[in-house]
Amino acid sequence: MLIRAALAVAAIAVAAPAVAQPKTALNVGIAAQDIGQLDPHFAVSTIDRVLAAWMFNGLVRFPPGSIDPARLEPDLAERWEASPDGKTWTFHLRHGVQFHGGFGELTADDVVFSLKKAGEAKTSAFSSELRPFQTIEAIDPYTVLVVLKENVPSVLGILTNYAQGFIVSKKAVEQRGDDFKRNPIGTRPFAFASVTPNQSLELMANQAYFRGAPKINKISYRFMPSDASRDLAFQSGELDLNYGRADQAWVNRTKALPHTIVDIFEPAEEGQLHLNTTVKPLDDVRVRQAIAYAINRPELVRWRGADVSREAQSVVPRGYLGFTADNGLTGNDVEKAKTLLKQAGYAEGLTIKMIQSQLPEMLTAAQVFQAQLKRAGVNLDLQVVEHATYHQQIRQDLSPIVYYSAARFPVADIYLTQFFHSRSIVKTPTAVTNFSHCDVADKEIDGARVETDKVKQLALWAEAQKKIVAHVCAVPLFETLLVFARHDNLDYGYKLDGSLSLGPLITEATHFK
Amino acid sequence: MIFYIIRRLLAAIPTLLAVLTLVFLIVRVVPGDPAIAILGDRATPDGIAALHAKLGLDKPIWQQYVDFLGQSLSGDFGRSMVTGRPILTDVGAVLPHTIDLTLASLVVGIAMGIPVGIWAALHRNRFIDYAARMLSLIGLSFPVFVSGIFILLLFALHWRLFPVIGNARLDDPLDRLNKLVLPAATLGLVMAAYITRVTRSAMLSVLGEDYIRTARAKGVPWRRVVWRHGLRNAAMPVVTVVGLYIGILIGNSVLTEIVFNRPGLGKIIVGALNQRDYTMLQGLMVIYCFLIVVVNLITDLTYGLIDPRVKQ
Repeated sequence: MLIRAALAVAAIAVAAPAVAQPKTALNVGIAAQDIGQLDPHFAVSTIDRVLAAWMFNGLVRFPPGSIDPARLEPDLAERWEASPDGKTWTFHLRHGVQFHGGFGELTADDVVFSLKKAGEAKTSAFSSELRPFQTIEAIDPYTVLVVLKENVPSVLGILTNYAQGFIVSKKAVEQRGDDFKRNPIGTRPFAFASVTPNQSLELMANQAYFRGAPKINKISYRFMPSDASRDLAFQSGELDLNYGRADQAWVNRTKALPHTIVDIFEPAEEGQLHLNTTVKPLDDVRVRQAIAYAINRPELVRWRGADVSREAQSVVPRGYLGFTADNGLTGNDVEKAKTLLKQAGYAEGLTIKMIQSQLPEMLTAAQVFQAQLKRAGVNLDLQVVEHATYHQQIRQDLSPIVYYSAARFPVADIYLTQFFHSRSIVKTPTAVTNFSHCDVADKEIDGARVETDKVKQLALWAEAQKKIVAHVCAVPLFETLLVFARHDNLDYGYKLDGSLSLGPLITEATHFK
Repeated sequence: MIFYIIRRLLAAIPTLLAVLTLVFLIVRVVPGDPAIAILGDRATPDGIAALHAKLGLDKPIWQQYVDFLGQSLSGDFGRSMVTGRPILTDVGAVLPHTIDLTLASLVVGIAMGIPVGIWAALHRNRFIDYAARMLSLIGLSFPVFVSGIFILLLFALHWRLFPVIGNARLDDPLDRLNKLVLPAATLGLVMAAYITRVTRSAMLSVLGEDYIRTARAKGVPWRRVVWRHGLRNAAMPVVTVVGLYIGILIGNSVLTEIVFNRPGLGKIIVGALNQRDYTMLQGLMVIYCFLIVVVNLITDLTYGLIDPRVKQ
């Protein structure tokens, strides 16, 4: 009996090391040559934004997997209160939050410093978002007071774990200076470890994370610009998580792979054709209406893929606070388009120039619009240029029609302001991305921004959308969702419906099964 | 010999200066603003102006040129406008990978191309010759991004002999070799196809010469005629082509680097061009030009070794 028991113990002892431990190293493949900016206030490209959200917290956050502004919850601030007029906000910080790399405990000074840095054009790409902030002060080491110049649709939205809302270590920025963008310090479950140019960036677990030590120990973020070889590396098991393509054939093919899950999630980027309302022949509303009638959205979605895209319904993407589908947007009617062109004096059709990026996903989309417009007699003269040139030339107002696709913080104000407010017209001192020179809804956009009555605010945004659609400043096309693929042993630890950082959030709960 | 090398290196200085100037001008003539590339689609005029000032792009062009020349001549290529990393650090990190790939594919190309080319020439218009010509044509016709994916499908995914991701650890020779095999074979096959054709044609031309006929008439064994009189005289065009091809390889390996996920100079150049990273482009082009000068010098020195008449 004793011998049998001893043998059993020995067998367990021998067998124990053979029990496979779950993986703790996560390998992620991303479509990029290299990292761009590690300073979160300069993280504008997809590759940089995905990563920034793994390293930095905000005062508040979207629950992981959600982009619903109504569900914002505490992050570095454990609670907050606002004055009755909504212009003074007091944030109470969590105690004991530690920065990576021994940079100490987070205090109100770090928050004030971060928000001031994010609001300064020299130190942030998102400075305009913080324009409504009058003062940001530390009341005590754990209390921050924010005073606004005017009401904004969502103060918490500005301070969330996104773009300008990321909190950095004051001490690290001051100590490292310009080197901070190569060696950043945040508070999230993963800390920057190293970067190898052209190859990968490594993150290590922040064991002192205030929500608990992460289950993933190490993340390798690999720069792999070739879609084909990134897919092969995913299939061979060298990658656990793969940046996907918003392409139905790719989704179908990847879904068919064993042990593979394809995540398709928000926010969708809405593609629009922005029509310059101040140049001939687009200054004639009938020509713009003809273009709107010539566009066939259901056909675009069939081309793009039903899983990864959906018809755009307004000049603001679906699901944004303030979006309305009741805006008078017209459907496809080629005959009506031809009639309108005839009335405008273009019975024989017309040719309009469009500067277009050579990026394949943008160029192929433009070729589809070109074919649709051709049916109505509009000849789209595509002038294909390299992507950086495209961005420069459309901002120089050189393209009468601009195809632009974008996602923003999901509140109508930001989309409407950046694309349709006269303050944002390109080639002006306050330019953003108003390529159409649209100015018909300034009053409604400005009014909605400071309106404290939520019902009135929604009504103003709806009115703005109606006016912009009626004036045909832009033609909404389709919305494209985000796509990533992962092996089924990788569990995010939450349900992924959306991620404003444009990639799945890796949290302390993310693990391998 | 040493004076010759010094003279050649000194002669390269005007070339490098011309390249510096051309690169400086070209990157600024190409449309596209690095500030917009860095700040993204929400770039405001304030932000763009602030970044221009920070990057020194608000200075007059001549002043930027003088600054750039001064820095370059002192061996400081500055930092990347986008990542802020020192350019020499980035180049230093990837250069061993580029050199590995270039040399390994050169070895594959020469080891396959020269024997096959000789063999084809010696069996002119026979099956072996046709087969070699056909295979070299196929090798030249397949773009690397197609042949590379086929090779990955077979060796990395089907047989699982090699990894798909080729970013080797430089301190681990076995890892380095393991991740070099497939890209070197892919690029080497293209080079082999090229060298086969050049060797065949050079050998055919030499084998028809009078001195070959004389050697054969004197009763010199055929093998010796081929090696000593044929190949040595045919080697000059082959060396020229190999020398030229190394220069092309350093730059053209970008597709191989992308398909096999290897770091390398070519990949950095493409990334820098896309992001309008002026400083990185300038630094890379100067380094690239310097490498070409060195390769040309080695090629010229090799001429002297093969053909003593060149030394005179």
